[in-house]
Parts: sequence; C-alpha cells; structure tokens
Amino acid sequence: MKAFALRLAVFALMMAAAVDVRAQNLGSTESSEHLIKAGYVYNFAKLVEWPAWATPKGQPIVIGVLGNDDFAAVLSHAVDGKKVDDRVFVVKRLKSRDPLKDCGCRILFVAASESARTDEIIQFQNASSVLTIAEAPDFAKRGGIIALTLGEDSKIRFAINVDAAAQASLTISSRLLTLATIVHTAR
Amino acid sequence: MTLFAKPLKRALSAALAGSLLCGTVWAQDFPDVTAISLEDLMNLKVTSVSKREQKLGVAAAAIFVITQDDIRRSGARNIPEALRLAPGLEVARIDENKWAIAARGFNGRFTNKLLVLIDGRSVYTPLFSGVYWNVQDLLLEDVDRIEVIRGPGATLWGANAVNGVINIITKDASATQGGLVSAQAGTGLLGSGGARYGGKIGSSTSYRVYSKYFKWDSATDDAGRDAYDGWNTGRVGFRVDGGMSAVDTYTVQGDIYNGDYGETLTGPTLEAPYTTTFRNDGQFTGGNVLGRWSHGFDHSRTSLQVYFDRANSAATSLLDDHLNIYDVDFQHDINLSPSNNLIWGAGFRSTHDDAIAGTYVQLNPDQRTWNLFSAFTQDEFTLLKQRLRVTLGSKIERNDFTGFEAEPNGRVLLNISPTQSVWGAVSRAVRTPARTEQDMTLSAAVLAPSAETLGLPVSVRVLGDRDFKSEDMLAYETGYRVNLGRASVDAAAFYNRYSNLLSAEPTAPTLDLSGPMVQLVAPLVADNKMSGATYGSELFAEWKPITAFKLSGAYTYLRMNIDRDADSLDVSTPDPAGVSPKHQFSVRSAIDFGKNVQQDFTWRYVDSLTGLAVPSYYSLDARLGWTPVSHLNLSIAGQNLTNNEHIEFRPDFITTTPTVVKRTYQVMARWTF
Repeated sequence: MKAFALRLAVFALMMAAAVDVRAQNLGSTESSEHLIKAGYVYNFAKLVEWPAWATPKGQPIVIGVLGNDDFAAVLSHAVDGKKVDDRVFVVKRLKSRDPLKDCGCRILFVAASESARTDEIIQFQNASSVLTIAEAPDFAKRGGIIALTLGEDSKIRFAINVDAAAQASLTISSRLLTLATIVHTAR
Repeated sequence: MTLFAKPLKRALSAALAGSLLCGTVWAQDFPDVTAISLEDLMNLKVTSVSKREQKLGVAAAAIFVITQDDIRRSGARNIPEALRLAPGLEVARIDENKWAIAARGFNGRFTNKLLVLIDGRSVYTPLFSGVYWNVQDLLLEDVDRIEVIRGPGATLWGANAVNGVINIITKDASATQGGLVSAQAGTGLLGSGGARYGGKIGSSTSYRVYSKYFKWDSATDDAGRDAYDGWNTGRVGFRVDGGMSAVDTYTVQGDIYNGDYGETLTGPTLEAPYTTTFRNDGQFTGGNVLGRWSHGFDHSRTSLQVYFDRANSAATSLLDDHLNIYDVDFQHDINLSPSNNLIWGAGFRSTHDDAIAGTYVQLNPDQRTWNLFSAFTQDEFTLLKQRLRVTLGSKIERNDFTGFEAEPNGRVLLNISPTQSVWGAVSRAVRTPARTEQDMTLSAAVLAPSAETLGLPVSVRVLGDRDFKSEDMLAYETGYRVNLGRASVDAAAFYNRYSNLLSAEPTAPTLDLSGPMVQLVAPLVADNKMSGATYGSELFAEWKPITAFKLSGAYTYLRMNIDRDADSLDVSTPDPAGVSPKHQFSVRSAIDFGKNVQQDFTWRYVDSLTGLAVPSYYSLDARLGWTPVSHLNLSIAGQNLTNNEHIEFRPDFITTTPTVVKRTYQVMARWTF
C-alpha cells in the first residue's frame, strides 16, 4: 500500500506540472457543432457569388451572427486572416433587437433561437442580396436560402432553396448544389 | 484543400472529444476548419447527438465517454474489456464468459443497480436484474462511443439506473460505408472474425449488414484445473438510417445471435458431501429489432422509438428462460426560449417470460407478463448570463410489482470561468424487483444432518416474495472540471443513502416429505431489511503535451457502510463492502509514431476484495498498431504482460468456479475496402 501511495503522489505531481503548462483562452463552446458549422459557413462564402454591386473590390465580407455569441467567437477565430477573392472576413455579433438592414452583412447566420424572425430575415435577404444561413430545419422551405441543421446521425446537413437564392440574386456553384438537399419554396 | 484533411480530421476529433467531456474548447487548440473540404465536413460527426445526451455531456453529472478510438487503441476484445477504460467502473472477469461490472459499489455477477442500453434498447434483464454480459456483443468497429454515467440517471432512463448508466451507441449506417473484414487470434481467444458491408439505397438511405463469430478456449481455476469455461458466439445484424431531410430521420436495426458456453458449477445435493461440482453447459439465443423516427418542428423535436427483444437463456441445471420484451418510447424536446429547454416523454414496456425449471431454480408461476408505464418531464434553464445551468425533472413509473415510483432530480452547473465548472445534484432512484425476487425458488445449499436437525439434511432455499419492494436511493453528488486545453481534470464525489435493500430473511423451517428423501427446508425469503450509505470519489486527469502523445490517469475511491436493519435476521447476505475494491488506479499512455504506428500502454491497480478472498492485483496491457498501407491495419496486443496471475472475482451467488487471468497475446488484422 505504501508503494501505491508513493506512485499516486508522483502522478499527482506530474499532473500538477501539466496543468501549469499554458493558459490563454479566447472563448469557449459547448460542443464541436460550432466548429463544424464555422467550416461550412467558410465554404459557403467561397462557393456563392454575389451580384457585382454587393461586393465592391477590397471591401471585407461581413458575416452577421444573430443570436449566438459563442458561435460568433468560434467563427471569427476560424475565418481570421482568411481571404476569398482578396477580401477578408469580418464577423459581427448581432443582438436580437438590432435592425438587420444596418449591419452591412453579405452573410447572415441565424441561430435556432431566432427562428421567430424568419419572415423578417427573408425580406431582408431578398432586398439586400444576403446569403442567409439558419439553424431552423424549415428555414429553406419557408423561403430562406440555406438551412444548416444537425441530423440524427450527428452530422451537419444543409438544404438550399434555389428559388430563394435566385430571388436574392445569388449564384450558387454547382459543386455546392450537388452536395445540398435542394428544396423549393413551399407555396 | 483536401491534402491535409485527414490529420485535421484526427485533430478535430481529439479536440471534440475533449470538449464533450469538459464543456469548453480552447481557442488555441481550434483546428483550422477552413482547410477541411465540404465533403469531409459532411462526414464529420458532432460529438453530442441528441439534446438529451448533449445535456449530460456538459451538465451536472459524472460522465465519461469511451470513443471508438479509445476502444481500438486499447486492444479490447469485447465490451467488458472496453469498459475497463472508464474511470469509476469496477470491471472484474469471473471466468472467460462471465463478468461482474458495477459503478459505485454493489458489484457482483448479478449487479442490479447499473442500467445498460445498446442504441436505446435496455439490455438489463428483468429476469434477475442485471446484465448477461456474455450475450452483449457487437462488431466493436461499429461502436461510435460508450457513454458511462456514474450515479443515478433515473429521471431520464427510469428505474434501475441507480448507481450508473452505460449507453453503448453504434455508428450511423452512413458512417460505415464500404466493406470491412477483421480477424483476431491469440492465447485464450482462439479466433474471432467479423465482416461488415455498408451501402446506400437511393440518395438518402444508408445501410450496413454485419456478422461476427468468435471462440474462446477454457481457462484454469486457481488450482490449475481446466474450468470448462470456453465459449463461442455467432451473430448477424443490420442497421438502416435514412431521412428525406434533416427534418425527418429514421433508424431501423436488429441482430440475432446464438452462443454456447461452459462453466464449472457447484450445487447442493441431499447426500454427503452435500455439494457437487460438475461441468455445466449453457446456451443463449435471441434477437431484437428496433425502429426510431425523429421529426423536427420549428422549436422542437419529437422522437418515437419501438423495439422488440427476445432472449432465451438455457442455463442447464439452473433455469431455461424465454423472455420477450415489447417497448415503446416517445420523447419531445422543446426549445421554449434560448435559455430554457423542456423535455417530456412517455413510455410503455411489456415483458413476458416462460421459464422451464432446472435442478436448482424454479419460477412459480412458470409464465408471467408484467407491464411498465412511465412518463417524465425535465426542464433546463440558464441564469446569470448562461453561467448557471439548472435542471429539474422527475420520472413517474407504474410497474406491476410495486406500483408507482417517483424518480426526481435537481442539478446545477456553474461555469466559474471559461475553463472551470462545478456542479452538484440531488436525485432519487429506485431498483425495482426482478422476476426472480418475486417468484423464484433456489436451492442454495444443503447443511449436513446433525442432532439439532433431527438427523435430517437441511435444504436452504432462497425464495422470492410478492411483498418484496423496490430498493431506494437518495444520491448527493458534486463535481469539478477544469480544461486547460492540453490538460484537463474531472473530479466527482458522491454520498448515497440506501434503504429497503434486498435481504434474505430466514423463516421457520418446514419438514418436506414429498421427495425421495425426507428433509428439513430452511427458507430465506427476499425482504427489504438492509440500509446504509456509501461515499467515494473519482478523479480523471488527461495531459496532451503534444498531439502525438496523451497520458491519462484515473483514481477511484469507494467506502460502503451497509448493514442489516435492527429487525433483520439475515445472516447469509455478504457485506457489500467486501465485494467492491476500495481503491482503483489506472494510467494510460497513447503515442503516435508518425502517421502509421500507434503504441498504447495501460496499467491498472485494483484493491483487494476482502469479502471474496481476492487479493489486490495490477495488470499491464500493451498494444502496437501498424498501418502499412491504407485500408490495412495490423496490431499485436498483450494483456497482463507482467504475468501477474490473479483471480478478479469469486461469484457470491450461483457458485461457478472463477478462473485465473494469465498473460495473453493476440494478433489482429483489419482490412477495409
């Protein structure tokens, strides 16, 4: 038992040393979902084309995140320093009460908690040529552009409403379309 | 872009596994997700599946997740060996086909306070309250993860989730596309072979089919005699997953199996020397089929699960039982607001069994049907800018044996800082009677004739009783987690109060003139006259100084003060403190040498079981895995390498001969296409 206690003590010391190794924190998240979704958003940004008026040269691509500051932090870190067509990314955290039209967003990510604002978001998307990505499963069916959802198999899936994309004057690459579940606006 | 996808994926999974355990991911450890192609992203799994599981992952409970990677790297040959990876579990091998597995005490071959589920299907048998571990098997490559929850989980999972819950979760069929063939052989394990093929039906449905067969040699008892405990099992199964969209998804899965096992059994006889030890054969066959449908709404998701399970266990000389279980479960998760989530659900289970008496065991009546209705609701909300998470809920069940049972719990989790959290919980759980505790007659022993017995042999019989009530527990738990990215610590402590625990009360002897030999019968009747408390703690720490090296350690401490009530006359029930180890300790190291070679060590120490005359032991296991070309993996593994021969457990009830754990080696090849 004595030898065992000694081994335990050595192990505890080793662990104490390990804990000391580093401590620099930029943010936290509860699951891998945010990381994977950040990867998707970046890929969408690369595979969607905006009309020329919406994307002047040298202007950053503003991604608005509505309703989930944790995700905004993860996304901001993920796209930091990345460029698409020589344009950098800026991630904006949007509060529930912020008027959407002032955000200057080219991409709007809508957390599941903001599903009640779907109609307003769709109006904004059509008026301002914004790529909308929402966690609500029925978002694309209701006229939004991309629904990004967690499937029962714990993989992230996405559905694209091609009617809505056309209405918002967005061109979606065929590569993205072949991987998506295609939906049309329910009438 | 795809050039780096593989190592990134690995890094990502590692980061994700850590985040599930500790609730935080460190920014500097964020893998570069923008370097992963869309196709690869679509194949990545989020580590927490449903709301229910996600909650437990980050919330106020002592949870540990054994990943597929852990299982593969450990060289585990079956589920019990994989469970040795979880801190806080007591896993003891009795013989080649029997195990005693428990959490937080009360270990035994018939551990009745640990609920075990495979893909949502309970494998806890209502026959004797416990798990036939030899019946529970899978193609280990198809296991996605094993979630081990220490402490009660009765509010969500219902009765018998008293000291812990083990959820074995297999991969979605879309994650097992293509073919896989694996083969394994070595000392002890004479041979094991498995094959799986997965494909697609249309664009939205995936399937897999698998088969597996293995055969184990017999081992020897502590006197060096062959104990006849060899066994073999064959099984085939399938799983189909599909859905037209993320809104609707469904799963259908099933297995059938057949196994034969041997054992050396000691039973009573009416003639001197009043016991007999003999080689006994047993067989188990069965099958199950399960369907699950999940539908998403605006702010909520419903899920409906139905299954049928048939299990036949022909334990020669003991009991031949045919058990059918029909189960329906409905669950509804509702996002009331960003900071408030409500789950409610309801279920029904009908169990029917048909028993053929053996020499030592009979059930009266030999056929019985019993039903269980359950409903639960649980609300989780956050306060203080999401730093404080509160969970309140209860399950109400009605069973045919004891009527209504309530299993409430209250839990709080406080994020002290982005890296640290503390939690606490108070919960009630019950262990409902098994069929055997209601209806069994077991010939446990025969005492030699003496003057006090009028010169007659005394047959000691253990009897079930319809008045036997549920065992009750009130649990107080607390825990602390810190995750500094490269190092993390997870500590939990508990104090459990038990009442109405099973006792065996002697009643007045009777004279039995019916048999060929006149005998006195001394009944021991199932009653609820034990109570007491247990306390203990579990500590798990992990250190990853570099991506290619991981060191982890676990320590488990347990004290049990369980005693007879003042009015109990029980002299036969052993003190449970003597059948669970007071200390357990383990260290694991995992090293990657480049991309193709993996090396793992596990060292374990288990304290003595004073009540069973099992001395403390330690064991060193190692594995070396090599991927010479993609699609092919070769490995060699050794268990108990220091050849410290030991017995891990002696059955306290149904006395089969325990066998010695020796040094074993095996080789394994796995080919995917």
